[in-house]
Amino acid sequence: MQPDWAAENLQVIRTLMERSAIYRRALAPMTLLAGGLGTVAAVAGQALRLDAPRPFILYWLGVAVVAAGGAAFLVRRQALRAGETFWSPPARRVARAALPAAAAAAIFTLGVLLAGWRWPGGPGADDTTARLMMPAVWIMLYGLALSAAGFFMPRGIQWLGWIFIAGGGGAWVAAGSGLGFAAAGHWLMGLHFGLLHLAYGCYLLFTEKPGPPL
Amino acid sequence: MNPEPFLQLDRVIHEKGRLPIMSLLAANPELAFTEMRDLLKMTDGNLSVHLRTLQEAGYVAVTKRFQNRRPLTTCALTPPGREAFRRYVDLLADIVRQAREI
Repeated sequence: MQPDWAAENLQVIRTLMERSAIYRRALAPMTLLAGGLGTVAAVAGQALRLDAPRPFILYWLGVAVVAAGGAAFLVRRQALRAGETFWSPPARRVARAALPAAAAAAIFTLGVLLAGWRWPGGPGADDTTARLMMPAVWIMLYGLALSAAGFFMPRGIQWLGWIFIAGGGGAWVAAGSGLGFAAAGHWLMGLHFGLLHLAYGCYLLFTEKPGPPL
Repeated sequence: MNPEPFLQLDRVIHEKGRLPIMSLLAANPELAFTEMRDLLKMTDGNLSVHLRTLQEAGYVAVTKRFQNRRPLTTCALTPPGREAFRRYVDLLADIVRQAREI
């Protein structure tokens, strides 16, 4: 009988630890990196006047790829230092939760690229409106991804997700109301993906507690 | 089978209500009382009793503070608690290993 309950107890321990473990790895450095990149990219994009539809999308896709690569590098480095696996159960849960919104963003971007930027069939589908709507949708979908992944991350992430959704939603409504201006795209991206990330990264840096060594 | 590992099991941890508490705290730097109650589906009273036992054994530290003007009780494993839990898991693994060798 003994080995049965011993194995069962071990299974209970493993299940509870996995279910309750929250993803915390390299969050502060990751958000600071994303924030720094986002801010610099917004300023550079504005200075380089990358306002034409295709360059705008491709430019920010490039920034996203660099940020994602940098984040993966930071996570891997911390995992190696801690002797943990890169693709841990909490990391898998976070990825699974964020995937639907990320996939929607990818499909939406592809559609807009194929449509040649102009809002297909939409009212007032001029460049200025679309230029604001594109980042607004990106920001909202990113907020959705954060909000979903936030169930398996520190609580503040869900709040950050809602701030992104509110910010993107505000930009969407502004664009729809004709309040947008042509140069707002880069600033909108910089404000959200740059400054918001930087603010959250600083918050984490000063409040995060080290994870358990088990 | 060698009964030695079984006899060495820490009786404070080896209890139906306290083992899950230790497991949760081993996976997190700290957890709020309410989070643990919801995760383990325990009543406030039941959780308090088990936490007090773990606290008296020196395995768990309970901190009370205010967050956004609301009282917040958090729990965390102490270093001796983490060590005791590690020993407990090692002993369980020993028992399972011995059984497989028979």
